[in-house]
Amino acid sequence: MRKSYSPAHFFLLALTLGVAASCTWDQSRVDWGDQIVMPEIPPGFSMPPIPDDNRLTPYRIELGRRLFFDPILSRDSTISCGSCHHADKKMTDGLSKSIGIDGQVGIRNAISLLNVAYQPYLFWDGGVPTLETQVLAPIHDPKEMDFDINLVVERLKRHPEYPALFYQAYKAGPSPYTVTRAIACFERSLYSSTTRYDRYVLFGDTTALTASEKRGMELFFSERAECFHCHSGFLFTDFSFRNNGLYEKYADSGRARITLNPDDVGKFKVPSLRNLAYTAPYMHDGSLATLRDVIEHYNSGGKNHPNKSIFVRQLALSEQEKEDLINFLLSLSDP
Amino acid sequence: MKKRHIAIFLLIALGWASCKKDDHEETHEKVTLHLHTMVGSKAADYTSTFTSESGRAFTLSDLRYYLSNFVLIKEDGSEVPIAGTVILASPNEHEWELGTAPSGHYSGIRFLVGLDSVTNHGDPSVYPANHPLAPQTPSIHWSWNTGYIFMKIEGKVDTTLSATGTPNADFYYHIGLDQMAREVTIRDMHVHIEKGGENSFHVAFDLLKALKGVDMRTERATHTMDNMMLAQKIADNWPESFSAE
Repeated sequence: MRKSYSPAHFFLLALTLGVAASCTWDQSRVDWGDQIVMPEIPPGFSMPPIPDDNRLTPYRIELGRRLFFDPILSRDSTISCGSCHHADKKMTDGLSKSIGIDGQVGIRNAISLLNVAYQPYLFWDGGVPTLETQVLAPIHDPKEMDFDINLVVERLKRHPEYPALFYQAYKAGPSPYTVTRAIACFERSLYSSTTRYDRYVLFGDTTALTASEKRGMELFFSERAECFHCHSGFLFTDFSFRNNGLYEKYADSGRARITLNPDDVGKFKVPSLRNLAYTAPYMHDGSLATLRDVIEHYNSGGKNHPNKSIFVRQLALSEQEKEDLINFLLSLSDP
Repeated sequence: MKKRHIAIFLLIALGWASCKKDDHEETHEKVTLHLHTMVGSKAADYTSTFTSESGRAFTLSDLRYYLSNFVLIKEDGSEVPIAGTVILASPNEHEWELGTAPSGHYSGIRFLVGLDSVTNHGDPSVYPANHPLAPQTPSIHWSWNTGYIFMKIEGKVDTTLSATGTPNADFYYHIGLDQMAREVTIRDMHVHIEKGGENSFHVAFDLLKALKGVDMRTERATHTMDNMMLAQKIADNWPESFSAE
């Protein structure tokens, strides 16, 4: 009897040989810290854009993490990125406005850095196009670190440990390029987790949400409450700039600070609604202390402003409905 | 047959093109920009006391500006763009390499004070340390609204009403944003670019002309965004502030 071999047989043979070969392969020669890794994103999230020159590797993420929490970046070595982005507060600081060098109060509320890889532009006013360029802003801001990227690099070059870590991660020493890449790389490794809401919609776990939360969800996605128009997608933001009627006169002109367009006065980037349970206070200036305050604000329709979004208007929600909305918003927080 | 026609045509074209080149003996030469930063008739520096348009004493502590998008203008009116060259000019440096250009007679130069919008909003950290667009110390870049400061002028000025005192108060003019970039064209130059020649365009920038109409006693500060009027006044003066030297 003649035996015939299909291409599948050859494939299996090749695979077997391959596996056999890998057994004899000296694994100690593989530097796993230098291998490109995929970010660990939660189910339901799309793959974030990652620049070709700054793929994630364990060495880069670790270097970025160390720099992020190191006050060496500030003039007097007192302020790190972590001073305003606390790991236990989902990378916010719990303050209305952040405190920088010499106890100076900044101009806005620190935004959570979880899922920051998806942001098409950074800051409440979108003034910076990439995470890498964003790194320069707090270093140079006289109210934050009040320093200079070239002087940061000089310090890092003299440091007993950093130069080797930079070579390990980027095959190059400390420079404005590698410092900004490393911190951005670390930031691109930060994601939220699977919430009860995700379990309900992704895995069909109908017990994941309470009756009140489900009613709140209906309201959230209804034309009556209008929330979902701006708070859309898996991050609950469309990244647009909106005036939500917080003030009649804005002390902070928001998007107009960048565009100088009067139509942009009082517009700020729509924030994600994940992890609200950990990220109070709310709004660009942290002026609303609780979620109850936020719901009351939207229920009232806000103050009059020519740039106010058409979706912000009086809602006439009942007490039960407000409660339901708050409960739903809390279900978007990591367990 | 068709292929043969094409081959013959190409041969003729090639021969003609090479003859043409021989006739003109055109070479490509390195071209430099000789740039003097002046305050009226005095060379700008960080130690002298200068006198403003209205007779007010002032000193300088920082004066840097970006020039880019250079175009050399030939006597026959044709133009030779110099791609990619950016200069961060300051009082202390006079000689800048522009790039290479074909030999011939040139009558002018055109450039942008500032940067094109793509370069302006790019990431400074991608440039090597000695590049003019790399992060500078002191900084000449806005990191919160990604973009370069096209011209930074800082110093002290006498603010006494009678303008009889000494420079006592800080002034700073930081001009940037895409809409502030200004094109400058300098004509009536005579530059002969040839093998072994100087091959240099001589240009002067006069700070007094850039500050024409600026009352340095009352108009002492602009970061552009916070005082657009003053920033625009200075930017609008740029085209008249550069001349052949």
